[in-house]
Formats: sequence, structure tokens, C-alpha cells
Amino acid sequence: MLKFHRRDFLASAAGLALAGAAFAQGAPKKGGTLKVSANANPSSLDPQTGGSGSDHSFLYPIHDTLVDFEPATLKAVPGLAESWSNPDPKTLLLNIRAGVAFHDGTPLDAAAVKFNLDRARTDPRSNIKGDLVTVESVEVTGPQQVAIKLKQPDSALLLILSDRAGMMGSPKAMQELAKDYDRKPVGAGPMKFVSWNDNEKVVYARNDNYWKTGQPYLEGLEMQVIPEINTALRAVVSNQNDFVYFLSPQQKPLVDRAKNLTAVSGPTLYCVILFLNFARAPLDDVRVRRALNYAIDRESFAKATMAGLSEVATTVLPKAHWAYDPVLADFYKYDPDKARALLAEAGHKDGLELHLIGYTDQRQQQRQEVLQEQLRKVGIKLRFSTFNIPEGSAAFFAKAEGNGLLSQWTGRPDPSLTFTLLYGKGSYFNSGRAEASPEITSALAASRASPDIEDRKKAFSVLQRHVLEQALSVPLLFQFELDAHNVKVKGFKPNLLGKPRFDCVWLDG
Amino acid sequence: MLTRNRLRLIRRRLLQIAPVIVLATFVVFGLQQLVPGDIAVTLAGDNATDARIAEIRTLYGLDRPFFVQYGSWLWDALHGNLGKSILSGEAVLDSIQRRFPTSLLIVGCALSLSLVIGIPLGILAATHRGSRIDAFVTSIASLGVALPNFWLAMLLVATFALNWNFFPATGAAPLSAGVGKALHYAALPAFALAAGGIAEVARQLRSSLVEVLSSQYVRTLHAKGLSPTAILWKHGLKNVSVNLLTVIGLVFNRLLGATVVIEAVFAIPGIGSMVVHAAIHKDFPVIQGVVLALVMIVIGVNLLIDVLYTVLDPRISQQ
Repeated sequence: MLKFHRRDFLASAAGLALAGAAFAQGAPKKGGTLKVSANANPSSLDPQTGGSGSDHSFLYPIHDTLVDFEPATLKAVPGLAESWSNPDPKTLLLNIRAGVAFHDGTPLDAAAVKFNLDRARTDPRSNIKGDLVTVESVEVTGPQQVAIKLKQPDSALLLILSDRAGMMGSPKAMQELAKDYDRKPVGAGPMKFVSWNDNEKVVYARNDNYWKTGQPYLEGLEMQVIPEINTALRAVVSNQNDFVYFLSPQQKPLVDRAKNLTAVSGPTLYCVILFLNFARAPLDDVRVRRALNYAIDRESFAKATMAGLSEVATTVLPKAHWAYDPVLADFYKYDPDKARALLAEAGHKDGLELHLIGYTDQRQQQRQEVLQEQLRKVGIKLRFSTFNIPEGSAAFFAKAEGNGLLSQWTGRPDPSLTFTLLYGKGSYFNSGRAEASPEITSALAASRASPDIEDRKKAFSVLQRHVLEQALSVPLLFQFELDAHNVKVKGFKPNLLGKPRFDCVWLDG
Repeated sequence: MLTRNRLRLIRRRLLQIAPVIVLATFVVFGLQQLVPGDIAVTLAGDNATDARIAEIRTLYGLDRPFFVQYGSWLWDALHGNLGKSILSGEAVLDSIQRRFPTSLLIVGCALSLSLVIGIPLGILAATHRGSRIDAFVTSIASLGVALPNFWLAMLLVATFALNWNFFPATGAAPLSAGVGKALHYAALPAFALAAGGIAEVARQLRSSLVEVLSSQYVRTLHAKGLSPTAILWKHGLKNVSVNLLTVIGLVFNRLLGATVVIEAVFAIPGIGSMVVHAAIHKDFPVIQGVVLALVMIVIGVNLLIDVLYTVLDPRISQQ
């Protein structure tokens, strides 16, 4: 199994990965139903009213998105919009693919796209109004063309349209069903919705009129909700289900031992991170924040807590991401002496105690212990208060309790969103709500200004360097996605977003 | 069968149902207010602002006073409307109708196993008091009570499902898919659940049978020359049957509670996994609906047992 792991890691690092693996699996076969162990009941099957990050795997089969993304790097590629352009910085022109229809026969035209985007921006139940906050208006400029008018230049919008906001549903169904659309979605994706029994399963059937010719290969899809991960894996070991995702690294040996299973792992945006409240003493002193970054031996932290299934993190973007800058990789090399010197300089010669918020589950507690031990060596004493996830997050982000929160950042499709949410002035995830520095504020704006990807790469390098100099948080590692599937499952590609998609999967035998 | 006394008993019990249901659902509703957590936070999604959370509260009526929320739930429930899950929008009655049979099948199988295995073990131990058989049964019974059923469940899955492929490792099949298939799926969870029940039945039966068999009138029966077998079957078991019935009632209620854990281990879409998910997210219409259904089932079983008491022991109905 070592062979697989190395190949996978190197290939994804090079960014060309998984396509190669898929080609090696022979020609796709048609037919069969894929049974998947899924980790949570969807919060809603309406992309606009749901709110959980685990919904996407349930939504992708039904709702195709306006913009798609390259699985290995998250670069934007055409989806339902076959091309786009920026006639001026405040307009995004989308050309919608002709001849596509929703599952109920309603044509997917410019009017339908406008309906969807307007509903996302204005419906009281929409949870994604924030994603489209820079949109001024949506205008139909041709039967298959819409112009999105912006309040300010926002190149993040493209990848936002590869997420919930870009998932298109039938306007007819949305109007007729109103609230019930949550449970009876009608999209234009490869699979049609059949039924949803809460906390049991969601059933899908092939969309015979799918716009990608020949696809999907599967006749049907069943997502079985099994929150307990050991049970979820057992269902696959015993051949009852074919696929399980989001396993814990500790389950890797069990997968390797099962002869009927193949393990799939790859990097994701899912970053284990120590959030800091940089608005309040003692962490308002940049020297203390830098000391924290120098004092942590990320390699050993990853080894101790993730059984090798991770990539160490310096910033919140992993190596494979299009906006990653390799120059910044060693910005905070493990250096306990430097950490001690910085602390002494900041007036904490005799040590320092920090009050951190953490979560109660076993894996999180292990992370807390390793961190405590590492920081103890430079004289930083950590005192943890632990809560369940929503309570702990609310304590730190909403009530500004504690100096920091050991948690995770699950990533966003566009890195501008990530950086704005994490470090922007007044953002929810910036616990102190303070402005980090004027340079960061202008670098954040600059990262959304140009639609050109090379320009944006440069802007993100500048932004990340500022964030690192200010040491606004302590990214620790990127968790790898660990999935296991039956050997007969072919064509699956993990993506950097860490939200499995089954659109290219087929069953062999 | 339905004598006047029994009818009076049934009527009295039915009259108790209403206050018990109101009290139980009210207490559960109250407890939910004390537990930390906020369904509006879950509903608002991953990166919601405080303003959005407040908006959600208004949208779903979660900002209404406690008594208003409970009152409107009770009013709708009285009219047969159990509402919809706040989280997912599924009708609570639909979920209950789909999930209760699954759980009841497992509990029913577990109860049958408890009786079929527990009763012979209890009789064997009581009639061979102090012997090796007795010691064996007593230790088995202690083990059955002491073993955590989720651990036993995982052992059973590892052996019978993953190694030998005799039974499915997870899931459930409805009776509509065929009795054989449904029982095949229910076997392992029922057995894991039954371990405690078997132990309970065997121990209780042994001790009450020992008491009866050492009483004065049994000695008289022996003196009259009745065979030990006749004494056991005609007199001994008849006298412990009321005790046994009490144990069955208790075991049933306990098994119903224990499905919460077993359903998680086997990924069974039953009532236990439903109430756990709802409780974690404070999805109160679902919790209230399940509590209502459970209270009705428990009251129903207790009533049945009370009626059976009067059948087995006519003195009871005269009191």
C-alpha cells in the first residue's frame, strides 16, 4: 500500500494526478447502482437553503454548476456556462450552454440562470446571500447569455459559481414547490432525484438526457447515511456498500487489510489550524504570534496526529492549489530558540499562559495534547476549555472568549473568500474583528481585482506574505481525504475541495 | 375474558394516558431548553453571521416564548399533526411510521430470544440449585448483564458478518421485503440486544422459582407423593408467572431504550438513530414526536401486562 500512497501523493503534488489513474482503468462501462456510505444527513437538497459543508456530495449529482473546477487544482473550467468574459471589470458575461434541460424538461436558458441567481440573493431562506454580496444585478442579454453586474470588481465570483450559488435548479419546480423544493430538487445534473428518507438514504436515478454525451455511466446512486465512521467502513468491508468517504487516518490499516477494497487519498483544503485573537493581549504583539509559529514542529505534529495522511501547512493553501507559492513554504521553520528569543523580546522571559478553546472529541484532544507538549518547551503554557463544535466555535468567534481556537478551516472554492473570511476586518472568523494591517486590507482587495489567473497568483503571493509576516494564525496541517471503495468501482477522482463527486464513476463487473 | 373488573382497569389506564403524555412531552421539551446548542446555528449554515442566525430564529418561530412554542406543538399534535422536522422538512409522522416497525422488529426478536433462552436457563438453574449447572447459568447471567451490548455487537459483526458472511454487517430490511430477509437483517442486532435480556430473565426466574420451590406448600406436595416434574410444571411455574410477566415488561422497556446504541453500531434506520440525531441538533418536533410514540407504546405494553396479571392471578382484579 505504500506504493499507492506515494504515487498518489507525488502525482497530486505535481497537479496532474488522478486523470492518469483514471485512464489506467480501462474503458467505462454502463450500468449498475453505486452504493455509498455517507457521513451525514443532508441539511437540505436545495443548494440555496442548506448550510452544511457535507451536503455537496448529495447535491452534485442533481445540480450541475455554472462553472466547474479542475479536481486537482481547483482552477475554474466551463460547466453549464461554456465560456465567460469580462467586458469591463464590473461585468461578468456568461454564455450558457444551449440545449440543456432540467430533469422536468424546463429549458436551462438565461432566464433560468437569472431566476436562480436572484433567488439566491433575495429569498429569505437563502443561506448564500453572502456569497453573492458583490452582485449588483443579473441581466438577461440573450437567450443563452447573462451579464452579472458587480458593485466592485470581484474575480472570486467565478469559483463562487462552482459552489452552491452556481448550482442550477428548475425555476418551475422552485416556484411550484416553494419550501418543499428542499426535499424534491430538480436540477440539470447527471442524476435525477428519486427519494430521500431522513437519516437513512437518498436515492438517485440516471438522467438519460444529460448534456455530457455518454454520461453518467451509473444507472443509479444510493447515498446511505451512516454517521458512525466505523459502521460506515464495515458496510463497505462486507460488500453491502461500494464506497465510503471521510475515513479517519486511524482506519487506514483496516482498509489495507480488506482484500475487496482500494484506498484513495489525496490532499484537501481542510486545514487544521490554531485561530488567534490578534486584537487582544498578549497576542496583539506580533512577536508572540511569530514565536508560536516558530515553536511548533509541524512535521512531528502531523506524524503524531495523522498517521502520515497529511501535508504540513504554513499558509491555508496546500501545495496542489493553483494559488500556492512555494517560496513561502519555509517561512516558519521549526526553531524553538528563535521562539524563546521572540518571547523574551516581547517581555515574556519567564513564560506565558494562553487560554485556548478546543473541542471534546478524541482526535481533537490528541491534537491539543501534542500542541501543549510542543509549546511547553518554549515556555508557553496552554490551558484548554473544551466544548462541542458549534458551542466552541461560537465561544471563540462570536463571544471572543479565549486567546485562540484549535479547530479547522474547511476551505472555500476561491482563496479570496478564505483570506477575507479569516483575516478581513470585521469578519466572523476574525475573532477580534480588528484590521490586521492596512497592507493586508489592500492586498485582499487586490486579490479580487483581476480576472487573469497569473495576476491573481501574484496578488495571492503578496497577500500570503503579509499574512505570514503578521503571523495572524498558526496553520498546522492539511488533512488528506481518505476514502475506500470496492475494487469494482472505477474512475473516481478525489478533489482538492475534499467533497467527493461520483459523476465519472463506473462499476466494473 | 373482558370481565367488568378488567374493563374498569383498562378504562382507568386509558384515562391516565392523556396526563402522562402531556407531562412526558412537556418535561422533554423543557429539558431541550436547558441543553446547550441552538438549532438556528445549524440551520444558518457554516459561516453565518449573528444577524442571519437571528433572522433564522424569526423565520422558524424559534424566538417565540417557551410556552407558546410548546402550546402550539401540543395543539397541532392533538389534531393529529406532528409537524415537520425543522432541519430537513420531512413530516415527523412519515419518519415514525417508517422507523418504528424497524425498531420494534428488533426489540421483538430480542425479547423472544430473551424468553426462549432465558426461561429454560432459569428453570435449569433453579431445579439444580447449588450444582455446576446453577453456577454456570449464574455466571452466564452475570456476564450478560455486565457486557456492554455495543461491544458484543461489534464482536458479533466481526465474526458472523465480516469473517463468515452469515449475516449482513449493517442496515435493516422492512417486513415488506419478505419475512426471511427482514429476520436475516434483524438477527445480529437482536442477539446483541438480547444478551442483557436473557441474563435478566434467567436470574429473576431462578430466584423466584427457588423461593417457590422451597415454600411450605411445595413440601406438602412432595409429601403427597407428586413427582418433581409435576410440581415444577403445575405449581412452580404457575406461581412465578406473575413475577415473570413483570420482568418481561421491564425488559421490553429497557430493550427499547437500548436500541439507541445498537442502531448506531449497525446503521439501522430505526427510532433510536432518529432521536439521537434530532436530540443533537435540537430538532424539537422530531424529539417530541418520538417521545409521544414511545410513551404510547410503553403505556400500551404496561396495560397489556396489567390485564395479563388479572388473567394469571384472579386475586389481583379483586383488589
